[in-house]
Parts: sequence; C-alpha cells; structure tokens
Amino acid sequence: MHAFEIDGVERKRGDYIIDIDVLPNRGPDCFSHIGIAGEVAAIFDLEFRKKEEEVKEGKDKSKDSLELKVNDKEGCHRYTARVVKGLKVGPTPKNIKEKLEILGLQSINNVVDLANYVMLETGQPLHAFDLDKVADQKIIVRRAKKGEKIDTLDDKTYQLDKNVLVIADPEGPLAIAGIKGGKKAEITRDTKNIVIESANFNSQLIRTASQRIGLRTDASWRFEHGLDLNLTESAVDRVASLISSVAGGETSGGRVDFYPQKPPKRRVKLNLEYVNSLLGVEISAKRIKEILEKLYFEIIEESKEELLVGVPSFRLDVYIPEDLVEEVGRIHGYENIKPKFPIASLVPPLTNFSVFWKKRTQDILKESGFSEVYTSSFVNQRDVDVFGYQEEELIETDNPISAEYQYLRPSLIPKLVKVLEENQKFFKNIRIFEVGKIFRKLSSRERKEKTALTGVVSGDVFYEVKGVMDLLLNEMGISDIWYDEYQPTPEDSKIAIWECKRCAEIKVGDDEIGFLGEINSQVLDSLGVEGRVVVFDFDFEMLEGEASEEHEYNPVSSYPEAVRDVAVLVPNDIFVEDVLNRISEAGGELVRDVDLFDIYEGEELPEGKKNLAFHIIYQAEDRTLSSQEIDKLQNKIIKVLEKEPDWEVRK
Amino acid sequence: MDKKKIRKIQKKAQKEIKASKNLTDLNNVFKSYLGKKGELSEVFRFLKELKGEEKKKVGQMANQVKNLIEEEIGKKSKKIRKTEKKKEKEEWFDITMPGKEPVSGHLHPLTQAMRKIMDIFKSMGFEIINGPQMESEWYNFDALNFPKDHPARDIQDTLFIQQSEKERAGPKQRLLMRTHTSPVQVRYMEQNQPPFRIIVPGRVFRHEATDARHEINFYQVEGLMVGKDVSVANFRAVFEEFFRRFFDKKVKIVLRPGYFPFTEPSFEIDCSCPICGGKGKCSTCSGTGWLEIMGAGMVHPNVLKAGGLNPKHWQGFAFGGGVDRLVMIKHKIDDIRLFYSSDLRFLNQF
Repeated sequence: MHAFEIDGVERKRGDYIIDIDVLPNRGPDCFSHIGIAGEVAAIFDLEFRKKEEEVKEGKDKSKDSLELKVNDKEGCHRYTARVVKGLKVGPTPKNIKEKLEILGLQSINNVVDLANYVMLETGQPLHAFDLDKVADQKIIVRRAKKGEKIDTLDDKTYQLDKNVLVIADPEGPLAIAGIKGGKKAEITRDTKNIVIESANFNSQLIRTASQRIGLRTDASWRFEHGLDLNLTESAVDRVASLISSVAGGETSGGRVDFYPQKPPKRRVKLNLEYVNSLLGVEISAKRIKEILEKLYFEIIEESKEELLVGVPSFRLDVYIPEDLVEEVGRIHGYENIKPKFPIASLVPPLTNFSVFWKKRTQDILKESGFSEVYTSSFVNQRDVDVFGYQEEELIETDNPISAEYQYLRPSLIPKLVKVLEENQKFFKNIRIFEVGKIFRKLSSRERKEKTALTGVVSGDVFYEVKGVMDLLLNEMGISDIWYDEYQPTPEDSKIAIWECKRCAEIKVGDDEIGFLGEINSQVLDSLGVEGRVVVFDFDFEMLEGEASEEHEYNPVSSYPEAVRDVAVLVPNDIFVEDVLNRISEAGGELVRDVDLFDIYEGEELPEGKKNLAFHIIYQAEDRTLSSQEIDKLQNKIIKVLEKEPDWEVRK
Repeated sequence: MDKKKIRKIQKKAQKEIKASKNLTDLNNVFKSYLGKKGELSEVFRFLKELKGEEKKKVGQMANQVKNLIEEEIGKKSKKIRKTEKKKEKEEWFDITMPGKEPVSGHLHPLTQAMRKIMDIFKSMGFEIINGPQMESEWYNFDALNFPKDHPARDIQDTLFIQQSEKERAGPKQRLLMRTHTSPVQVRYMEQNQPPFRIIVPGRVFRHEATDARHEINFYQVEGLMVGKDVSVANFRAVFEEFFRRFFDKKVKIVLRPGYFPFTEPSFEIDCSCPICGGKGKCSTCSGTGWLEIMGAGMVHPNVLKAGGLNPKHWQGFAFGGGVDRLVMIKHKIDDIRLFYSSDLRFLNQF
C-alpha cells in the first residue's frame, strides 16, 4: 500500500463512494477530491490535470463593495473574498445536489450548496454572506468580546469569549470563524448580493475554539488540520464561477485579499545515501528523483550526493529529509524492502534485576498455590473511606471518566479484597496476589510511585500464609527476618481495619519491609466478605534491595545427631520465639536446630499457662557428641530457662 | 508350672496361629504368648524360681516351644502375606477415578505473554527497561514531537493528575498517567549512548469508556533500537522474527504507511491472521485474513534531539503495541475486560 487505507467501497445511485482513511498529517492536502486525485495519479503513474479557473468578471470591483479589516493576524493568516451581485437564490442543479447528498451533506440552496461542493472538491472551506445584511458592507476579523453571543444557522446560540475568532461587521458577530455561520447574514431566498469568504485560519485557534464551544463541522475539521495558503484564491475563483453560472449574477472584478505574509517556498536538502541507509535498500538516484517528481516535488538542484527539493505548498507535512524518505519509501513500496538482520555485538544485555526478582516472586507464589490477578490502578471514594486513607496522601485525577477512577491507588489491598469477595461465590479457598504500582502524595508537590507486592487469602490461615512468607523470603536470600508485634501509629489507629493482635510487621533488622495480618470482621462484614482474610503486603523495592542470589550453604555433618526434648510451662503471653531464642542461645553451636512440636493449653494446666514442647537437635560437625556432653548442654539450657521466674521446665 | 502346662500353652498358641486371618491377629497372638506380658514369657520368669534338673528340663522345653511358636508365626505370616498380595492383584482398582491434584497456582495470562515477549527480545540482545506510570506531559507528548494543540493529541485521550494552577504551569510539571510506553524511549536516551536495543513493557492509561475492546488501563510493549545505520530493513527482520516466535508459526508482515508524531517514516503493521493462516475464514480477523497489530517507524530526529542524541550521527527504529491485543488474538479471547475482572474462573485457565 502506498498511501491510505480504504475502509470501504459502496455502490450508490450508479456511482461509487470510497471511504478513505486519510492519515491526519495528510489532511491539509487530502481531505478533498482533488487531493486524492493527485495521490492516485502519482501512485498509478497517471497524468493529473488541474483545471485552471477563468473567472468571468464584471465591471464592478470587489474592493468597492467590501471593506475588510483583519485585527487578529495571528488568528487569520489569509482572508480572500469575492463578491457576486444580482444573483437569484434557488434550488440546486440535480447533479450537484445528488453528489452532496451521497456525501452526507444536506442541500440548502444553490449558493450554500455550491460553497459546500467546492469545499469537498478542493478542501478549502467556503462561506457565503448576504452582502446587504453586512452592516456598512464591512467585514472585521477579530476575537470575540467577553459576553458576546451569536445565533447560528442551525438555530442555536453560542456564548463567545476572547478565545474564539469571529467574522463580524460593526454591529456584531456574523460567523464563528472557521466553524459556523450566523443567522444574521445568512443566504435566503431574497438574497441578491453575496460575499464569499475563502480564508486560512490558525489551526490551533480553531481547534481550541471548536472544543470550547463544543461544535465541530466539516469546515472546522479541515481548518484544524491546516490548509495550503495558496488554496484560498483558486477555491474562491472556482466557487464564484460556479455560482454565477448557476444562480446568475455577475462576479465583481478582483479579489479582496488580506495576505500579509506569504511564506517562502519550502526547500529540503536530501542526502541520497541517507535515503538508502534509513530504508535499508539500494534505490538509484534516478529512481529517487522519479518518485519525488511524480509526487509534485521539484528538483531544484542536484549533485552526486544530494538533491535540493522544492516542496509544493499543499504538502504541509513535509519539512525535513525524513519526510522525503517516507515519500520515497512508500512509493517504492515497503514490501520491496527485504528484511535484514542488524549486525550488532554479541554482548548480552544487562539483567534487569527488578524484572528478575519480580519473576522469582511471582513464580514462588504461583508454586505455593496463589493466582496472580491484575486490578485497576484506581480506587473510588468508598474504598478510601472503608480502608481509611487520608486525603492528604491521596493523588486525585483531574478528569476521571467516572467516580471509579477518582484516585490513584495508594495500596493494592482494597481491590484485592474486592476480588476475593467477588470470587467467594465460586471458590471456597482463595489465594491471590498482585505485584503492581501504588501512588501516594508525600506533600503538595511530592508524589511517589512505588511497587507493592500484596496478597490476600481467605480462611483462618495466618500460619499457613506465614509459612509462605518464610518460604518466599528464604528463596530470595533474605536472612535475618523477624516478625514484630504490630504497633499502630497514632494515624493508623484511625484506620481500624486490622485485627491488631493477629498482625505482624515483617522486619529485616530495624527496617519494616512488609506486613502480615488479618482484617477485622467488622470491615469484612461491611464489604460482604465471608470468613477470615489474611493479608500480606511488601514494599517491593525494599524487598529487592534485601534480596540476594547468594546462599550460604551449611556443610552437612557426617556425624550422628541426637535429639532431646524439653517441655516448658510458660505464661500465655510469652512468645514462642522468645523461648526458642533462649534455648538456641544457651545451647550454642552444638544445637543444630530447635523445633517446636507441641503447644498444650489444656484444663489440667495452671491458669494462664501453656506448655511448649521442643525437640532440641544436637550435632557437631567434627565428632560424635558423647552423652555427657549432651547432658551437660541440656542441663545448661534447663537452667537458663528456669532463670525466668514464671517459667517452669517439666520433668 | 509343669511340662503339661507348657504343652497346653503350645497347643493353644498353635490353634490361635492357625485361626489367624490377618497380620493384626497374628501380631496379637505373638503379643499374648511372647510379648512382655505373654504367657510363655511368664514361664521364663517363673524359671528363676526353679533349681537344678527341673530348671534345666523345663527351661529346655520352654525354649523349644518358644522356637516352635516363633517358627509357626513366621510361616503363617508369610502365608497371609502371600494371600493378601494375590487378593490385591484381583481386587478392583479404578484408574479412572480423579487423581488428587495438589493446589496449583496461576500466573496472569498477561504476565505469561509479557515474559514470552521479553524472552524473545532478550535473546535478540534487547535490554528490558521500565519507566514511571505517572508521567510528565513533557515526556509523554512534547519530547515525542506531539505539537501542542494538534489533532494528533486527540488520538489519545489522556488522564491528567490534579495539580494546583501554579504547579502545573511549571516547566515539564504537568502530570498525567502515561498514554503509551514511548516516554521511556526518551528517558533512556537521556541516560545512555547508542548503540542500544531496549524493550519496555508496561501499563498505560487511556481516558476511554470501557467496552469489549477498550479498558482504562492496559498493557503495551515498546521497542527501540538506535545505532549508526539501523534501517527499516533491520526492523522488518527483527519484527518478523518476534512474531514468528510469539505466535509459534510463520506469519507474513506487511508495512503500511502510517502516521505518528514520533516517527518518520511511520508504518502500521499488519500481520496475516495466525488463527486462520491468512485464509480469511475466521472471526478473529473478520474474514479479511489480516490483523492490524502494532505501530512502528524510524525515530523522528526531534525525538532523538529531545533525548540528547545527535540525529546526524544516529538513527533507529521504534515500535509499540498492545499486549492485551496480542494475547486476545493468540488465545481467541474476545473481551479485554476479562484480563482485569479478576474472575478466577477465567484466570485459572492459564
């Protein structure tokens, strides 16, 4: 394909309608029949003949009938006008009417229809005013004033302001420039004399005005994309000619033309080798020239290495050599470019460690029975209220499409809990996780984007999930992790979503890298979640920071191990960890492992006490331990445990 | 305690051994005669109280009986085991009953697709790079050569972040959720000298109403290769290879003229439908045999400049497209919203 995609071909009333997907940067020249014809001629090597319009002019002079003042040079780059007098407004000739209707335009009257017809033909929007209704026969092109309004041809009223360009007479606006005509000077059955506007407006201005007042038309759409400045004169001549021949009347001599700055002819230097280098082909200089000339470019100068190319004024998309390379490439045909593998060094790319650790995490959780989900990056007000996020820390979107997208998510937890709730109707045991970006505001100008690793699990499964956490952290080579009691900060206590006693802060040294805990039942009830929910939540960047691929392997001893048991009666509020640590410390190197195998809290025990039973595994790397050695250590351990006033070692 | 009694014990034991039907019964017999509190063990204890000849005679007999019982238990045990094995061979065993599946987890289909894409490009020497999702307008549009109020910016409808008037007016200060992964191209160029090849997967955001083909957040993958003489021909080769490996079959690629502000020349990439092989007989490609799959082009000199590179010395190609779309095509999924609905009945199929 060499230019544009055809979206469809339809047969209608003996003719064909071809729906062409013109690329936006070719709007200036190809939103018209002439433009497309030019492309077709270039691509198929046909001759393109453009009709030169010879306007039959009468004795009157246009400039005697019309005074033109352009106040906004930035907004209006050119304003060309012609005057036609003594015409008769009536129905449009059948063939013109038909063509307009096929192309979706309603027929109004011969003058208006012909203006539209020539717009479709040339791409230049045109507008006709009833000259006798233009006060003082004076047209002023200016910005609207605050509070001004206009009644348009389609019986609507629009509020205007200084951001909108208008065509006005001394009494007020006659048209919203480039967008829509007003009722005041509209062409009616009684119109005898007209002024035809053929102008070139600032595309940005038309676009913002169009968006501002909420009105988009065939005219505004063309102005938004930009137009060839030269087009105004040929278009106005063409339409004036057609109008006088169809509606009678006489075209006044000459054009009124505001055209302060004619842009210089665009020239681009094209290096021939660059064409081939960028495309990866071998096209001869001759062929390159051929293609460019076919497309109406002018070869002004040439040397062995480069061409100086003149760009036709209607190609508003060609400014740099790469634009010309594209012209050559598309006509030559991209299918004619043979694939060629790049020659590059064999050094493999650097490992992206974020990607590496993310992958490792995902895999470990998957193997532990978790399903990965992707949730929306946004939370709504309800999520914020239920989960207790503070307004100051939330980042809000400016133009959310709906309330669902009001805030950027400060955590993955709300949506994951929602996913859990929704899936409860189909699954009994749910284990899900997500690794994703979260967003918080640190101050009025500081916003932070971080990665979180979060999971939610249904059921009374705190220890199971803790087991998975241990596995995960272990696999990531993170040692020295410990679980600290959850101490809510003063701000946190406003967030009453956690079941505080069943929560732990996961730490490495003094740094909190994660959290493990249950959501309390009131919150779960309000969310319609059944049963318990355990949550784990990590700061992924911190996790990555601590992770290491290195594992220290402990040599396996070839000497036998010996197991001794010890049972301790302790108060209920003593942590297992504390007893375990005490035993390990007392035993030293020769205690290879301490294993809790039983917790008993039966009725026969004294009030407020529980019984913890441990296997202590003794083993030395270099010898078989004797019974005396083991007994000695065992007694030492017992002594240490009994040092605690409320602890009792069971015999 | 006399020989008669011992004989009685023997006879009783033998009877019970004979009557044993299974190993548990047999074990109980052993326990009741030879176990700690067994009858014969009682006898051995009683022996302590005897003397001389009597002790010798009774002792001998007790041992004899003990050995006999042990032997018979052994024999019977073997016999029972043999019968049980035979029974097992003839017992009905249903191999078609469902197996006990261990709990299996699942990675999201988009994760799986992005891993595959990253692996393919990694093997071609591309480095994986990431960038921020909350991006500045400058990197998202201006650096990528989007004119300020040009219709080109309509192509993407953007989600902006709330900021004070003062803040958003600052240079490069206006914030939005990135509409494509292309901003990372510029960020990377600012920090690295060519030649290089990078791939950027990531979540992007469009301010669009959701339907079967559109979601507010979805995934894209972006590629960029810059060097001294990187060309369209190079792009074709790399891309065709990527597609062939991603869809696991040979697909044809067609480059069509396109328009993007950040590339010149620009192309739309169509590929032959991997489902029907380009024959045009399926719903995935609406019967045309072709699918519009990605956008690409040669990096625009203004973008190279924005990244601090001299366009006179460097040239390259860039491409980008939706990952969701690729996965939908590959697995014949017709609704993009399924990827974000987190319906485990859907996700657990992958």
